[in-house]
Amino acid sequence: MPVGALAQLSPLTPPIASYEISCRLDTARKAIEGTELLTWTNRTAYPASTLQFHLYLNAFRNTLSTFWKESRGEGRRGTPLAESWGAVEILRMTLQDNTDLLPSLAYIAPDDGNAEDRTVAEVRLPRAVAPGETIAVAIDFRSRLPRVSVRTGYNGDFFLAAQWFPKVGVLEDSGWNCHQFHFTSEFFSDFGDYDVAIDLPARYRGRVGATGRQVEERVAPSGDRIIYRFRQASVHDFAWTADPTYLVVKDRFHEAGLHDVDITLLLQPEHSGQAERHLKAARAALSGYGRVLGAYPYDTLTIVDPPWGARQAGGMEYPTFITVGTSVSAPSSVHSPEGVTVHEFGHQFFYGLLASNEFEEPYLDEGFNTYMTSRVLAAVYGPNHPTLSVFGLKVPLGIDLHYPVDANRRFFAVATRDIHATKSWKFRDRATYGAASYSHTALALATLERLLTTNVMDRALRLYADRWRFRHPRLQDFIAAIHDVTGRDWNWFFDRTFFSSGSVDYAVDEATSVPSKAPRGLFEKEGTLAEGPPPELAKRRGYDSIVTVARRGETALPVEILLRFEGGRTHRAVWDGEARWTRLTATGGPKLLEAIVDPEEKILLDADRFNNGLRVEKDPRAATRWTSRTVFWVQNLLDFLTVAW
Amino acid sequence: MSARHSLGCFGKGLALALTKPYLAVSLWLLQLFLSAVLILPISNSLHDLLDRSVAGSRMVANPDYGWWETLQREHPDLLGNFADLAAGLLTTEGVKFSQLSELRGIGAAAVSLAFLAVILHAFALGGVFGTLREPNASLVTFGREGMRRFPAFLIFTLATLAAAGFAYRWIFLETGQALRERMTRLDTEGKALAVTALRVAALVLALAAIKLLADSVRAIWVARPDLPPVSRFFAGVAAALSRPARLFGVLVYYAIVTAALYVVWLWLDPSAGGEARFALVPLILTQQVFVFVRLLVKVGYYAGVSEALTRAPRPEYSYLPSSVPESAPAAEPRARDEGAVEGPAGGI
Repeated sequence: MPVGALAQLSPLTPPIASYEISCRLDTARKAIEGTELLTWTNRTAYPASTLQFHLYLNAFRNTLSTFWKESRGEGRRGTPLAESWGAVEILRMTLQDNTDLLPSLAYIAPDDGNAEDRTVAEVRLPRAVAPGETIAVAIDFRSRLPRVSVRTGYNGDFFLAAQWFPKVGVLEDSGWNCHQFHFTSEFFSDFGDYDVAIDLPARYRGRVGATGRQVEERVAPSGDRIIYRFRQASVHDFAWTADPTYLVVKDRFHEAGLHDVDITLLLQPEHSGQAERHLKAARAALSGYGRVLGAYPYDTLTIVDPPWGARQAGGMEYPTFITVGTSVSAPSSVHSPEGVTVHEFGHQFFYGLLASNEFEEPYLDEGFNTYMTSRVLAAVYGPNHPTLSVFGLKVPLGIDLHYPVDANRRFFAVATRDIHATKSWKFRDRATYGAASYSHTALALATLERLLTTNVMDRALRLYADRWRFRHPRLQDFIAAIHDVTGRDWNWFFDRTFFSSGSVDYAVDEATSVPSKAPRGLFEKEGTLAEGPPPELAKRRGYDSIVTVARRGETALPVEILLRFEGGRTHRAVWDGEARWTRLTATGGPKLLEAIVDPEEKILLDADRFNNGLRVEKDPRAATRWTSRTVFWVQNLLDFLTVAW
Repeated sequence: MSARHSLGCFGKGLALALTKPYLAVSLWLLQLFLSAVLILPISNSLHDLLDRSVAGSRMVANPDYGWWETLQREHPDLLGNFADLAAGLLTTEGVKFSQLSELRGIGAAAVSLAFLAVILHAFALGGVFGTLREPNASLVTFGREGMRRFPAFLIFTLATLAAAGFAYRWIFLETGQALRERMTRLDTEGKALAVTALRVAALVLALAAIKLLADSVRAIWVARPDLPPVSRFFAGVAAALSRPARLFGVLVYYAIVTAALYVVWLWLDPSAGGEARFALVPLILTQQVFVFVRLLVKVGYYAGVSEALTRAPRPEYSYLPSSVPESAPAAEPRARDEGAVEGPAGGI
């Protein structure tokens, strides 16, 4: 074992739930048989008389599970779920003194009361575990893997074992926090140290990856099996993969001020030409996230590229281990596979180190991470380009996205269907969950960054990350960090963006500028009323300008209004945005050219940025040119249709 | 068949099209008038959205993806799912006919216009084939021949359209649905792309066969007025079946030349760059010249199909009388729907 590897094997935080697992993969039966020794410490202030376990493979047990019912038979990308069943069975569960806990095991459904769901089990302890006390539980289990349709399973010789062993829930002062496996949610666990031995057929030699560092490779006495052992301290989950076709690429990340990291890329052979793209993205992420949130503290990072038939295992994060996904036709001008690599690595912070409850506050990992992903991608790769799928091949459209985070804008219409700070499984549907948790949160944070400035935002993020590393933060903890950095209360912003379903849309409804007219009517002249203004008023002066800015969305945020006049003069005003509209008038000044609300485009939550500016004079050039273009292509389209028949 | 033979037919067709440029002009006018239906709604919508928008000034030269995304989201009444349908035609899943129900506004009008264009095309094809066979034809011939063939050609066109719809459904959509589960089980993306390529190739071949069959029937319908309608139809089918390679070659050359024209257009991209490259009037003129050239090639293709179906008589079986007596009866009795033909009927 290299000396440098010692650090990762030492705990970075006091463990709560540690596991020693020894397992054997049966490739024919697609099953894993294992024994685990759970060492669990009660770190609450109250005694624990029960233990609750996640048995998440049981989500694939049958169509009566909560996961299957919620999914309506569709996978993460709308594809049908494979009717390939998975399950985890507990064969033995004993305490150190050999007390058998299995007879007391009962399946519970704390979220929806579904009696058929077996993804959470509870066992009653013969004696309550006192605060600060540690117990050890030995468990024998048998996991049957489904063919990959959501995150975990097999496809041919490929295996990705995630959520594959009985894992204890999180005990809080209020009781067990151990949610069922839902269609629209990820996970929540306590930190601990993992030591896992995996026994596989020998043909997988050198083609195995897992959470943590490989500390042992040993051929079984029979010669046809090989045993790998991985260890990692201070993480809250363990996943592993094996595929005899993996192309293994190694790299090492080194940057002054950050922790050195050994990167292992397990790539599909048909993507061999994209190895450097993956590695460059991983290095960019290690640097970009590390500079803002503090160094990634682990020694290893394993990146897994699942095969075509197991793409649903891609785009997931586990401690020190991420699954990505790419295409044989990944254009270099498009942020793919870079985007998914950076994003999944980012979860090492927003999920890994800042282990928020993904069930209850999904935006804290997905949304915050989507925001940071956009920042890293923008800094390293510049503008992204939308693509067109041509019979499975990705073709870039050659159009820049204004800001990388703008890719999230297309979900606006869906995002307003639900309050954003909703528990993951209580969203109306998967689209709303994604739009609110990922996209809307990313845009809200990008807006906040522009309101605060990037420097202040970075300081707040760093404070939040430092305070909550290896713990379970909540949104209020991030708000508190902002408060502490700025010295101001920002609850109003979160009330309006996270705890609301309102949309944001400011628009300039009116911008006029007409030559000032001399006043008319009766005026006092030498003590009497006479028609016509006195000479000093009769003289025409400049232009009278009127600008009306409206708040079309339900959500009010403070905005700037910029007026541009002839001669280069400008006028800026700040509007709190609370009323439905506001009006600015200028009398006798230079001619107004245009009025823009939010001229610096700070409010990225604005659903329609194209009504934010209004010119006084019409400029028909763009519309005329685009009409000619459109009609030209309509002619071509008609010709294509008629030439055929 | 030899490549040279197909190329020769296509080349002769192009040459014939150049001698009758009014045919391309007629097609161009038809398409322009059809497109004109959309000019006002498109123009009004764009002027309304862009003329006073600060974003408009950024879009004179280049497209703004954000604007396009916002337009579709904020104004679903303008296009409906038109963009999704257009993009969906290029996906592995394809587009189902039921999705047409989600079209709105300009998008719905554009698709309706396409159906109208198909019907008008039936008229235009009658005119084109009829005119191509007359040495001293004119624009009047085009109109006359178009109207004369219209009932029969409309039936052919609708039948062809239906056949193409069936081919799309059963060769592309249904196979995609049937293979969907198996596709996800393949171990490499390369294999999945190969399966998709096979589906696309099968569809393209089927559509090409349908088109060539239809064009062959049309050509024979015009060339053999001496036969009764049913015989003309089957003669057209037989002609296509007897020269499939030659006809296919003509179609391939037509596709290559058309694709080359588009490549040149996209490479030059006169629309881009705003006023720095092409002022508005030269831009519109350039666009219309491009459309005209493309239609010239299209007429050339139809002439090429006629040429490919023309059977050169073998010398040993040819008999050319030195003179034809004035009182001699017509060698080719005309069918009831055929009028007097001013030129020779041809040697098909």
